[in-house]
Amino acid sequence: MAHLSESSNNDDINMNNLHIEDKKNDVRRSSVLDEGTLRENESESKHEQRLDALKNAYGIMLNSVGEDAMRQGLLKTPERAAKAMLFFTKGYEQSVRDVVSDAIFDEECDNMVVVKDIDIYSLCEHHLIPFFGKVSVGYLPNKRVIGLSKIARIVEIFSRRLQVQERLTQQIAQAIEEAVQPLGVGVIVECVHMCMVMRGAEKVNSRTTTSAMLGNFRHNAKTREEFLIIGRNSSF
Amino acid sequence: MASQQSDDDIFVDSPTNKHHRFFPSSPKLITMKRDQESTFDTVTPLTRQMKSSSISASESGDNERTTPLRRRPSVLDEKALRETDTKTVRDQRIQAITRSYQGILDSIGEDSTRQGLLKTPKRAAEALVFFTKGYEQSIRDVVSDAIFDEDCENMVVVKEIDIYSLCEHHMVPFFGKVSVGYLPNKRVLGLSKIARIVEVFSRRLQVQERLTRQIAEAIAEAIEPRGVAVIVECQHMCMIMRGAQKVNSRTTTSAMLGVFREDPKTREEFLSLGGIKPF
Repeated sequence: MAHLSESSNNDDINMNNLHIEDKKNDVRRSSVLDEGTLRENESESKHEQRLDALKNAYGIMLNSVGEDAMRQGLLKTPERAAKAMLFFTKGYEQSVRDVVSDAIFDEECDNMVVVKDIDIYSLCEHHLIPFFGKVSVGYLPNKRVIGLSKIARIVEIFSRRLQVQERLTQQIAQAIEEAVQPLGVGVIVECVHMCMVMRGAEKVNSRTTTSAMLGNFRHNAKTREEFLIIGRNSSF
Repeated sequence: MASQQSDDDIFVDSPTNKHHRFFPSSPKLITMKRDQESTFDTVTPLTRQMKSSSISASESGDNERTTPLRRRPSVLDEKALRETDTKTVRDQRIQAITRSYQGILDSIGEDSTRQGLLKTPKRAAEALVFFTKGYEQSIRDVVSDAIFDEDCENMVVVKEIDIYSLCEHHMVPFFGKVSVGYLPNKRVLGLSKIARIVEVFSRRLQVQERLTRQIAEAIAEAIEPRGVAVIVECQHMCMIMRGAQKVNSRTTTSAMLGVFREDPKTREEFLSLGGIKPF
């Protein structure tokens, strides 16, 4: 690439070094692309078992809060809540590797690609209460690009789990890095945490922003700045 | 309307003390005649509307009904489900819910012994008890000493009260804003008590329609104003995070009692004063 600047060549080298290091550690460190597939490839009957166990738990919960679990509005609530909980944790049923592996393409693109304002809904692992917001993902391709909707799918898989926002951000960034090995990845996640709004500190307007900058985005301030401007999430 | 004024006269003369029962146990006959109406107890047009609205959901504000009215239990005196809890009972509840959450963590496939999840069942149980703390108070306790005699004749609106509730069908949060307005009839309610009424009803397993109605009825019973209006606008996570997955949708419900139901101008005034801005 004739028009690549000196600094990005250096970054290329740094990035390659990182990957050589990673390959050495591969045996010990498992890939984020395979991480967290706690319910992958489960049978129907196993799924039913999970549903039944959840139903029982929710039934006890309804009685324990003092409600009358026999009244019309609550009769089928354990079943609905169980299905809802399994849906909110469906990120455990797929590996990122399966989702992205056939959507990586060779492309001569060497400018930043940003997918922003991706809505996410996750469950905080400390209180099992939803947090939700927007994600912005940017990367500088290195001869390979990833299907755009796959970026959204990566976000979806990691967010539909019991999460901590910092970890979620890191996992998204690492997954993109491992999948296409770009020159750099940047991820910004901005969320409202209901566990902080509905209870506890009860701060209604507060939002939490976390970010992960890898490769070029970490070493090169200009690249980072470009991402922060292009990839700024709209307010919600 | 002459007959309406007579009704008001009855209530102006009656003593208003803390234990005044709005629906006396022994029915009294109202001696003045209404068109084809037989009343069984001393009810104002407003509370009669509350009762009749439970039979049909018509918006016509029709007061002249011939069907006998079924007695509705008082919203103010409704027994709170956890009102009589001792500390021991409360701890037992939290323990039972903690065990349930432990079961949930195991059933979804997670490793409940990892650091982030170790204390989660307990935290989640305490959070759930907090989200249902509306069961611990009766409305009468919340409201009782903040009713004042005041000559105010103009609309009082408390708007954009944030609410957070749990949908009783999925046990998933819904949240939004409430606007409450009423036209006082010689008595006003402490402003923060309006917010407290909203809070007590919303911190329960709820259905938005019922929540709206309960807020309106509580205020109507407490101070017997000329009318009450409540608008609730919420986002339901059960619809956004799952199911239909409609991210921008909101649900609006309203309850109009008394003059707010009968008089479109009054209703319009409330809607313009108490309108909920996009959030």
